[in-house]
Formats: sequence, structure tokens, C-alpha cells
Amino acid sequence: MAVTNYERLDPTNDLTNTRTLLHESIPLTGTIISGTYGTFPDEANIKNYSHGQFQSVYDYPYLSSSANHIFDIAIGFDEGSPLSGSVSSTQESKKINMYNQMSQVLLGYTGSNNTVRKFELDTTLDGSGEMKEALFLNFSRLITKDQIKKGTVSVTLGTGSWAAPFALTKTLTDASASATQGTANTLGGDYGVLYDSGNTARGIVFYQAGLVALSTSSFDTMTDFYSSSAGTSSVGNTLVSSSISASCDSLRHRVQNISFNNTTEINSSIYFCRVPHNKYNHSGNPTYLSSSTIRVKSVNSDQPIAYITTIGLYSADNELLAVAKLSEPLRKDPTNELTLRVRLDY
Amino acid sequence: MAFLDNSGDIILDAVLTEAGRRRMAEGNFKITKFALGDDEIDYSLYNKNHASGSAYYDLEILQTPIFEAFTQVNAGINYGLLPTTATDLLYLPIMKVNELTVITADTRAIASSGSSGMFMVTDSSGDSSAAIRTVLSDNSINSINGNSPQTCVLLETGLNTGQGNVPNGTAANRKSYLAANGLIDSRLVVFYDSRFFNGVKGLAKNSGFSNNGQDNALMSQLILSDGSRASIQSGLDNYAAAMILGIKNQIVQPSSGTDTEADLSVISGPKGIVAAVAPTINPGLDAEYSLYGGETSIGGIDCKFIDTTIFVQGTSTSAQLQIPIRIIKLA
Repeated sequence: MAVTNYERLDPTNDLTNTRTLLHESIPLTGTIISGTYGTFPDEANIKNYSHGQFQSVYDYPYLSSSANHIFDIAIGFDEGSPLSGSVSSTQESKKINMYNQMSQVLLGYTGSNNTVRKFELDTTLDGSGEMKEALFLNFSRLITKDQIKKGTVSVTLGTGSWAAPFALTKTLTDASASATQGTANTLGGDYGVLYDSGNTARGIVFYQAGLVALSTSSFDTMTDFYSSSAGTSSVGNTLVSSSISASCDSLRHRVQNISFNNTTEINSSIYFCRVPHNKYNHSGNPTYLSSSTIRVKSVNSDQPIAYITTIGLYSADNELLAVAKLSEPLRKDPTNELTLRVRLDY
Repeated sequence: MAFLDNSGDIILDAVLTEAGRRRMAEGNFKITKFALGDDEIDYSLYNKNHASGSAYYDLEILQTPIFEAFTQVNAGINYGLLPTTATDLLYLPIMKVNELTVITADTRAIASSGSSGMFMVTDSSGDSSAAIRTVLSDNSINSINGNSPQTCVLLETGLNTGQGNVPNGTAANRKSYLAANGLIDSRLVVFYDSRFFNGVKGLAKNSGFSNNGQDNALMSQLILSDGSRASIQSGLDNYAAAMILGIKNQIVQPSSGTDTEADLSVISGPKGIVAAVAPTINPGLDAEYSLYGGETSIGGIDCKFIDTTIFVQGTSTSAQLQIPIRIIKLA
């Protein structure tokens, strides 16, 4: 039934808007990425597609409705890369297209010929430090939410032999990036640089896009970046001669840990519902009366009491737009004046 | 020096109702006021005789579990806290239907139908050889002619303190307990299902409802007139609102005997107003009977019916009443 007793909200004094950033820690252990749900490289939580352009990683066998998509893995190189043009290449055009798609969306085009930019292992975008070959980790919006928090990304890669990849590890972090410095702003949003412990740039991370682009340089010295029945191969040879899915498998084999904090931006309106001391001490609740007598009083000099459980927020034409509930009844009598802060998140 | 307990900070998270989401999508979401509710509270749990003292009077009430927020508009706040500023009130008015025999025999008021407690509204559109009102009267069922209402459901408000209890139903008590505290509902809002009714008649301004101060004889003149449409949100789908008048209820305790006015009034104590509700049926109701109603047999004659509820609410006191209605028509 309609409520007919309202208290006005002054838009100047009774309303404030706030913006809050919530962060969650997202740890992605290598065991989920490789080995938990089956035998490498055919785990049930790894989805390969007939188009063969990327590989998806789920947190559970992907045929289950309980599975959540965590991230995609892809590889690519620029057509100016030394890896391009090899006679033994496999899916070369797809690898070049993937690199170009990533760079055109995240960096855009430049120069008099309007050519697509190349990823750089620095924040200057001046043509130096170009990263012409990249291993991409595209994180799902489910886990990055609005963006990855700057300065929280950590990627630990196994750089040991194929048989014991984590006998040697390399941890890349964006510790130099923060909300105020250490990043560059591009078409695709802000990006920071991932450095190893020796302060060598090994990749970049796009915070709003939720994408990590790793340089192959972390694995350059290895001769067995990938191993199959056909033998072992370096990272360069793998990117050239192996299919994209096999290259993705080899990267998964070497991811020990990925972690970052995500960010959710919450905009809130807080309504200050001020309940005066001399009002709302009586109730229209049918149980409030017994034989028309107010139950909480014995004589008329007793204080009236009511108990608040609900706050309704209304439009000017009395339509109920939002409801807030208290966790327990709140006593209201003429001796107290309440300000109930009702928050509405968007 | 101990720290102050700051755990009393009250921050509540609100959820949007269906209407809120719709308005958000339409781009006209704007909150301008708030209301307070206590629908979960059962005030009969307030124990003024608790052996452990006054701190324990409301112990059970404070332990009442609270529901999560509903997103349906109608389930938000049904009653609400009242902004009454007076702190010395001991009594508040209630609203009741007057079905007393004397009243239904001598006035336009009707009684509900037997044990069902429902008030019959006849739909005589399409009546030919047989008439629905004849069928009903043959079975001694009172009804409102919904096509052109001349009878009504009669409502009274007042302090129903009980026979022999103070304050009794004198004119002086009406003035001091009700009028002086602004507890007279000179206007009432009637919410009705607009799928079945196109309006509601109430009492006209020149109606009267009183008794003789000596011998308690009823003196009433109940004149029906159309209520005015009101743009008040009921929170119920398909419901519209109409405003009707509350006429001064001048039934008072007569000098011929204490409480004999109970023969005429269902309010045992100071009386506030009297009002009438007579719904007018939408012309051409047909498929609605099978969609929202059913079929029954009265005196061996097949009839169709729709059950609905009319809600009445005082504009000053927020006193409320639900009137169960059965619309009935020959099958």
C-alpha cells in the first residue's frame, strides 16, 4: 500500500556522490594453467579453436557450466621481425595479423605512412626498444574488472630446461608503475613495463585492457623452450615453425605464477536521511494499536516509540525507487534524532 | 581512558526496485524524498510488564529478524512511520466497516456475504431474461449494483477503545482526542484495480450520519457522488487511486443509555468520520472473468466472478482498511 508520509531530501545538503576503488588480489597459479585438469598439453580446462589463433584458459574444465574464462594466450610478431619470412614458418600470416591487431587497438597508427605502431619495452614510444615478437596474455574482464591496479603485476616464468622448467625462474614485475608515474598513455589506455630482477625490460602490461605482452627475450638463451616428438626448439624457432596453439602450450608450460590486483570503480550516491527527534515516533503498523491504544504506552505522558526497519527512497511522484534495510530494528523515540546514511552504488 | 564505541554508525546499502531500474533506463531517476517503514515489527511483543524492568520491554522486538529488501514496489513499505509530532497521544484511530443490521436495513450500506466476508458487486451488463441482482437477492445476498451504484460499503474511523472504557464516544471526546490532534480523515484515498473498475463513488458533501442525543434514533442521509481521480502511486500493478470525502461522524453516546450508540456504530469510543465506497464496474467486462476469476453457482444459477481487493487509506491518520470484493455476473 502507498506510503503517504515522506520526508524531503535536500539535494544540496542531504546528498553526496563518492567514487571508491575496490581492489581484489588475483593469484593465478601455474598448476591451474598447466597440469591440474589433465595431462599437458591436453588439459580439459584449455580450449583450442579450429581457427587456431589463440588458446583459452579456464579455471575448470570448460565443458562444465561452472567453468570461468580466465585468460587467452596468443603469440605474434611484426612483419619486420627477423622471424618473419622464414621458409619453414607455420601460420605466419595469422601470427602477423595477431601482432597487428593487438598493436592497432592498443597503440594505433603513426607516421606519414600511417603504419601500425610497434610495441616497445619502454614508456617513450619513440621507436627505440621495439618488441617485434610478443607472447600475449589477454585477461578476462571477469577477473580484471575495470582495470588492473598499477604496480601490482607479477609474472613468474620458468626458464629452466623443458623437463624442469621451474628449476630456474624469472619474475617480472611492474613495480616502477604507480597511479601517478611509470606508465605511458596510449589508445588502449595506460601501460607499464615489466622488469626482471636485473631491471631489464621483459614485457609490458596494459592496465585498462587487461593485457600482458611478454617479450621473447626472457627465453632467448634457451635451446629447449619447446619440446615435442620432433625435438626441441628455441623460442624463436617455436614461434616460427610451431603452430600458435603449440607455442601457447610451451608458454603455459613455463608460467609458474601470475598475480595482480584488479580494480572495481564504484560510484555511490549517499543520501543523508535525517529523522527529526519530534517526528516518526508513531507507526501506522496495524499491530501498533490494541483497542486504538498505542501499545508501547501506558499513559499519555509515556514517550511514543517506533522501530525502523526499512527506508524507502522515492521519486517526486511518490514512486518507490530504492529500498534500504536495517540489519535489526532501530528504536526511534523523541529523545533521539537519527541520520541514516543510505548508499546507492552504480 | 577507554575509547568511545563508534560501532553505531549506520550506513545502509540500498537496492533499486523494479521502478528504479526502469527509471534508470529511461533516464529520469531522481530521488527526492524518503519514508520509514516497520512492516516486520509486531508491536504486541512489546511487554510493558517484563519482570526485569523497562530495559527489557522491547527485547523481543529488537530481536526481530529483518527481511532483505524486496525489489517489488508494492512490497517496500506498506504502513510506514507517522510524522505526528505530538508526544502525548495515547490513542490513534482505526478504520472499520459498518455492517450493523440497523445500518444495512435503514441506509444504503450493505453487509458482506455470509461467511466469505466478501462484498458483492453485481455486473448486470448483458442481463436479459434473468437478472443477476434478482439471483442475489433471492439468496439474501446484499450487493452493490456496480453498473450504477446506489448502495455502498460504509466505513467509520475513530478510537475503538471498547464499551465502558474511556474515552467514551461523546462529542467532547471527539473534539479533544481526535479533532484537536489532527486525527480526522476528511479525505481518504481509495485504491482499486482499474482493470475491473473505472471509478469509485463516495459520500457527497451534504451527507450526514448522526443519532438523536436522547433516544439514539439514527438520522442518516448517505448521498453518493463520484470520487475524484488522484495521481497517487499505490505500488500495485493496475491499481488506480480516487479521493473520497470523510463526513463527520456524529454518532455520539446518547443520554438514554451508555454505549447504546453501539447499535449504530462499530466504533466504541470517539468517532471520527464516516465514508462510503461504491465501485463502478468497467463496462464490457467479459474475458476478464475467465482470465482473473472463475465460475460459481448461486441458488442453482451459474455465475461468473472476479475477486479483487479495494484498499482505503486515511490521508491524515494513515489508518488503512482492505475491502474484499467479489464482482459477480450471470454466466
